[in-house]
Amino acid sequence: MFLARRLVLAHFWIAFVAFLVALVLGEWQMFVRSPLSAWVGDPELYYRSVTGHGTVMGYVFPTLLAMGFGYAITELALKQPLIGLRWAWAGFWLVMIGTAMAATPVALGQASVLYTFYPPMIGSPFYYLGIVLVVIGSWVWVVLMTINLRAWKKRNEGKSIPLAMFGNVAGAYLWAWTSVGAAVEILFLILPVALGFKDTIDAGLARVFFSWTLHAIVYFWLMPSYIAFYTIVPRAIGGRLYSDTMGRVAFVLFLVFSMPIGIHHLFADPQVGAGFKFLHAVFTAMVAVPTFLTVFTIVASVEIAARLRGGKGLFGWVKALPWSNPMMLAVTFSFIMLGFGGAGGIINMSFQLNETIHNTQWVTGHFHLIFAGAIVIMYFMIAYDLWPQLTGCRPLSAALVKIQLWLWFVGMMVMTLPWHWVGLLGMPRRMAYFDLTNPALEAQGWTLLVGTVGGLMLVLSALLFVFILARARGAEAEPAPFTFSMPVHMPVTTPVALNGFGLWVAMMIALTVVNYGFPVAQLAALKDTSVPAIPIGGR
Amino acid sequence: MQEPPVYAWSNRWFRWSVSSLFILAIATLLVGFLWLPSVQSDFTAKGLWDSICRAAGVPSEWSAPKDWPRASARTTNVVLTSAMARAGPGDRIGRGATIAIQQCSMCHGAQGMSEGTSPNLAGQYPEVVIKQLQDYKRGDRSSAIMQTLARKLSDRDIVDIASYYDSLPRARATPVRVDEPGAPALVRVGDPLRNIVPCVACHGGIDHKLGAPWLEGMPKAYLLSELKDFASGVRRNDSYGQMRNMVRTLTAQELDDVAEFYARREPAAGSR
Repeated sequence: MFLARRLVLAHFWIAFVAFLVALVLGEWQMFVRSPLSAWVGDPELYYRSVTGHGTVMGYVFPTLLAMGFGYAITELALKQPLIGLRWAWAGFWLVMIGTAMAATPVALGQASVLYTFYPPMIGSPFYYLGIVLVVIGSWVWVVLMTINLRAWKKRNEGKSIPLAMFGNVAGAYLWAWTSVGAAVEILFLILPVALGFKDTIDAGLARVFFSWTLHAIVYFWLMPSYIAFYTIVPRAIGGRLYSDTMGRVAFVLFLVFSMPIGIHHLFADPQVGAGFKFLHAVFTAMVAVPTFLTVFTIVASVEIAARLRGGKGLFGWVKALPWSNPMMLAVTFSFIMLGFGGAGGIINMSFQLNETIHNTQWVTGHFHLIFAGAIVIMYFMIAYDLWPQLTGCRPLSAALVKIQLWLWFVGMMVMTLPWHWVGLLGMPRRMAYFDLTNPALEAQGWTLLVGTVGGLMLVLSALLFVFILARARGAEAEPAPFTFSMPVHMPVTTPVALNGFGLWVAMMIALTVVNYGFPVAQLAALKDTSVPAIPIGGR
Repeated sequence: MQEPPVYAWSNRWFRWSVSSLFILAIATLLVGFLWLPSVQSDFTAKGLWDSICRAAGVPSEWSAPKDWPRASARTTNVVLTSAMARAGPGDRIGRGATIAIQQCSMCHGAQGMSEGTSPNLAGQYPEVVIKQLQDYKRGDRSSAIMQTLARKLSDRDIVDIASYYDSLPRARATPVRVDEPGAPALVRVGDPLRNIVPCVACHGGIDHKLGAPWLEGMPKAYLLSELKDFASGVRRNDSYGQMRNMVRTLTAQELDDVAEFYARREPAAGSR
């Protein structure tokens, strides 16, 4: 039973094609800044490309993937047809129209403000309206996830929600609350200026609102990968999930802690008090808890698979792992990148250590390693794992998949580790060119060169990914019914608090009020805090 | 055993999660707003309540007011708005022309094209003319002649003059192209290591920023003298010090090269 196939496939294909295009833009950016190329004559072209890359990679690609995966989970885990299929298509088309609406002014150079908006720069209103449509389309998905879960609960009173659906809905609620910050920023602060009603903008307040979205959005991107860790990886490598409850705890902890921490992006901003910066630093550190819980649980689940295959000893079981299985490879790569990226992240969130790397290439390296590395490599596996269900194809070629994963992992490490290094040396991010003729910078040129090579490997990997998926279409075979991982011990009863979201959503909102209430209220009340807007591509 | 409902103190998940989050938040608030500020002298200068306010980011005078003289930070009294950049209707242009021909044409030319060292005004952006005349009028930019003339102009006169000059054709109609042969690097790409933004980022070519004048075809002597005045700080009516910051580190040769380039009238050799 899988009725929403076309819907899920539409989401996935658009997501992957957009991803491929944005990836090529990213590699172009690496190339033109490297010693291989002359300085890009017109830096606006560079920022235009960065805006396109960031908008697709940050808003369009992960949102479509989370939506598609969410619809698939609804049918596969709840074993009921998706309620509201027409609405789901409406949401999909909203995202499509929004993407086109945002992409057009970006391509024309009318909105080179980067995907994080950066007021007081102001681009074409169509860019912001496009983003709003993408977000509204995703809100349709949030509502549908709620409705479907409610219908299932009514029919299965007292049963525990399947873990995959639990994580999926946690992600949906996280996104719903997270996106409010950017939505408020766009609707109340940016659009009045972009539409020409005002000449000034309260950039400080706008940045605080964006920080509301900016960090938690990462956990929205991450949710599908975590769902895959818990509910696909153990099954795919022939093991069992170590603990179903641990998965639920990790998901609700993400819900509570991922949201009210975004001011760690504003450590260098003067408009927020030091006390609130400290508060956000502490709660950012708390996100390490669900991350470590997950790493522990998944490593334990993997160990179960190894011991089932005859692995012995304290660490001897590692050899018995199914290393030829692409999923094993992917989860290993993902954890390595999560480890490096997470360690770097602890530096970013530390109030004082942040000073050394703020706005340097270190930060670019960090979020590429975590998102494009640890998270996106699991997106690939989600697609590979679902593909036979979606298209009725035979199982995909493990050899090609493994080449693709290796290319992605090595490419990402080769690209991001030099970025970290050169960031420590102080190379700023968001630069269209670096003056490598200056003796002080000449020695840093190799990092740009190596980064370009890493980026090329990523492009090849993504091409191979799309090729594997495209070639798999049309083969005739009846796929085996899709299953999610089984826990070692099937939960007899799930604690009622972990079988719903009310408590956790309430805690998330309460913590947001504590952490954001005062800074927002104060900045909104202060007079004379607006600065002149800088229209981009205006004349 | 029946499990208690979620929202009940007897439910241990509720009890534990709510109380630990509460304790964590309170403890963090105490550390961030009391303990950490207590070891910073500038936070504690005026007592406990002020140190809490400062940690919360409430703006106030945190240290005892010093009686050193405060230099006026204001360099101009003009607030640029996008409305200033819109050309006026025909009757404004006509009225502006009447004033301009009587009062401006002696130095700035009958058609807004200077024959000497005063700047061309033909085709200048209206908000630029408005801002500079207002600055002369209020004494934020100095020139014996211009200050005397501007003092007599009403706000309406100034807008009308700006509309008139906006309607005249420019000395050189197209902005620099970033790949234009002969364009100095400072014009095209700036100098990142000296924090110098390319001229074309604000003065047309890549983008035009509100209040930045059209420079193409201006007399070299005028451009050079203004650049030098910005560099030395004699001229300081750039709202955020943007011009002073750009040119302060330029050498005499670089100033000359930039002025020479923008003063060219004909399209550079080899271009379309």
